[in-house]
Amino acid sequence: MKKRLYLELENCIGCRSCLAACTQCGGHEERNRNYVYDVNPLVNRQTMPLMCLHCENPACARSCPAQAIQIHETGAVLSALVEKCIGCQNCTIACPYGIPKFDHEQNLMYKCDLCIDRTKDGIPPMCASVCPSNTLQWLTDEEIENKKKQFNLDNGKWVTSMPYLEGETNVKVNLPGILQGITKLF
Amino acid sequence: MQAKAAVNQKPGNTLNNAFASHFAKSMFLSVTALAILSFIGTRMFTHVDLNLYGYMVGTIVFIGGFFYRFIAWGERPPTKLILKKGLKLLFRKSTPKTSVEHLATYNFIWNRGIYRWTQHVLIGWGCILSCFVTFPLVFGWMYFTMDDNGHYNIIAMGMKVMTVPADGIIANLSYNALNITAVMVIAGVCMALYRRLKNMQARAEQKFLYDFLPLYMLLLVSITGLALTFMNIFLHGAGQPAMSLIHQWSVIITLIYLPFGKLAHIPFRPMSVLARNYREHYAEQGMKECKVCGDQFVSVEQSKDVVDVLGVNAIEFKAKEGHHLAEMCLPCRRKYRIAQFSGFPTHEVKVKEANQNAKG
Repeated sequence: MKKRLYLELENCIGCRSCLAACTQCGGHEERNRNYVYDVNPLVNRQTMPLMCLHCENPACARSCPAQAIQIHETGAVLSALVEKCIGCQNCTIACPYGIPKFDHEQNLMYKCDLCIDRTKDGIPPMCASVCPSNTLQWLTDEEIENKKKQFNLDNGKWVTSMPYLEGETNVKVNLPGILQGITKLF
Repeated sequence: MQAKAAVNQKPGNTLNNAFASHFAKSMFLSVTALAILSFIGTRMFTHVDLNLYGYMVGTIVFIGGFFYRFIAWGERPPTKLILKKGLKLLFRKSTPKTSVEHLATYNFIWNRGIYRWTQHVLIGWGCILSCFVTFPLVFGWMYFTMDDNGHYNIIAMGMKVMTVPADGIIANLSYNALNITAVMVIAGVCMALYRRLKNMQARAEQKFLYDFLPLYMLLLVSITGLALTFMNIFLHGAGQPAMSLIHQWSVIITLIYLPFGKLAHIPFRPMSVLARNYREHYAEQGMKECKVCGDQFVSVEQSKDVVDVLGVNAIEFKAKEGHHLAEMCLPCRRKYRIAQFSGFPTHEVKVKEANQNAKG
């Protein structure tokens, strides 16, 4: 059963467990590849996570002169192949969400690979396994459909794609109901 | 694609018009160059080592695969751009230093780990040195003659370079060069195989065809090569003819595989010097300022190039404010996305992003 990462942004409590968990994924070499942002840092405590959304037409891979960014059969856009990445940093400029990180010492780009060692076997990625507030979830398409039924719908504001994102993504993002004044039913 | 290219060609370029495709032209020029070099090197084909003709044919098949793979790759918009601009900047002052660091001493791999660096130096330099010995012998660019008993003349490109005693150090190094490199490659490959068995990330991502096959091929080449030496010294040449065919077969298969698998990064890697020059040169020319915070984050040229390349791929990231998303620095681009989700302009709040680096 194919599962995907699903984000309910308004659940985020800013604990940064996902960052810490990311560092522990095999091959991440104790460096996290995701982000947590304060929405309005001088006013309130609302935070939101931001990670690679694994675009269906990834700009990073399209702009890579070395074909170092491969797309896994599960749809995950992988981190640069270490032997191919030539360190031009085109991907960091191309990504519409500013996700890829660059290590100048190693001359190597690294980005979220959706913990491919886990997700290729159906195990949730590190961030989703540790998230205490169900901001990051690992769900089948059917479960995501069921989620949809729990919300006040028909206002086009349920799940983000256009215009909140730049294109179709493999990771599904739920729009923040609280901030938009939409009540959750559970 | 080739038909279209022919239509687009400017009239008057007779050399290009003589060929049906880039591929045909590159093949013709390289095979001609090889033939001319061999003609000179072998003193008009009088010193061709026909024992090695299989390698000669294998090399030409390899060149075919190489051009097929790399011409297709060079046609990709971002690749073409870096190649074109990078080659123009080839003669920067920093090029020798960058080349040595990227292609000879592998400093960046040292920073990825000493184990991986050791393994890479052993395999990399083992292969490079082997090629320096093998190909000159195959094409007759280097051969040995003997005038006085007990003294070899080393002939390079048809010219006598030096005369060495047959039991001297240089002669012995020449006889054993491929044995030494074989031991280097075997040690390196064993380190690589051990890492692939133990490292969890490697275990998750590796594929037989992409990651293991080149290692097994290098191992096969080195072991059959050493076996030849073993048979000569200890078995008085028994089994040598059969083993030399097996060795030849393994080398030719490795050469044919090279442009299509992991080993393709060997001919491809010099691109990283071009990329470094490209970044350094255009950074000196002028830096792009982030549309939101004004930080200089990339060269104007690269920013423009990436936007163009995305355009070629029919990807347009226009922000509502009218600029392209690639014109924002990375933290601002991330905050801008948060702003699209929440409806609050996070990127306009003049606060540095909170620490985003968890210490594992």
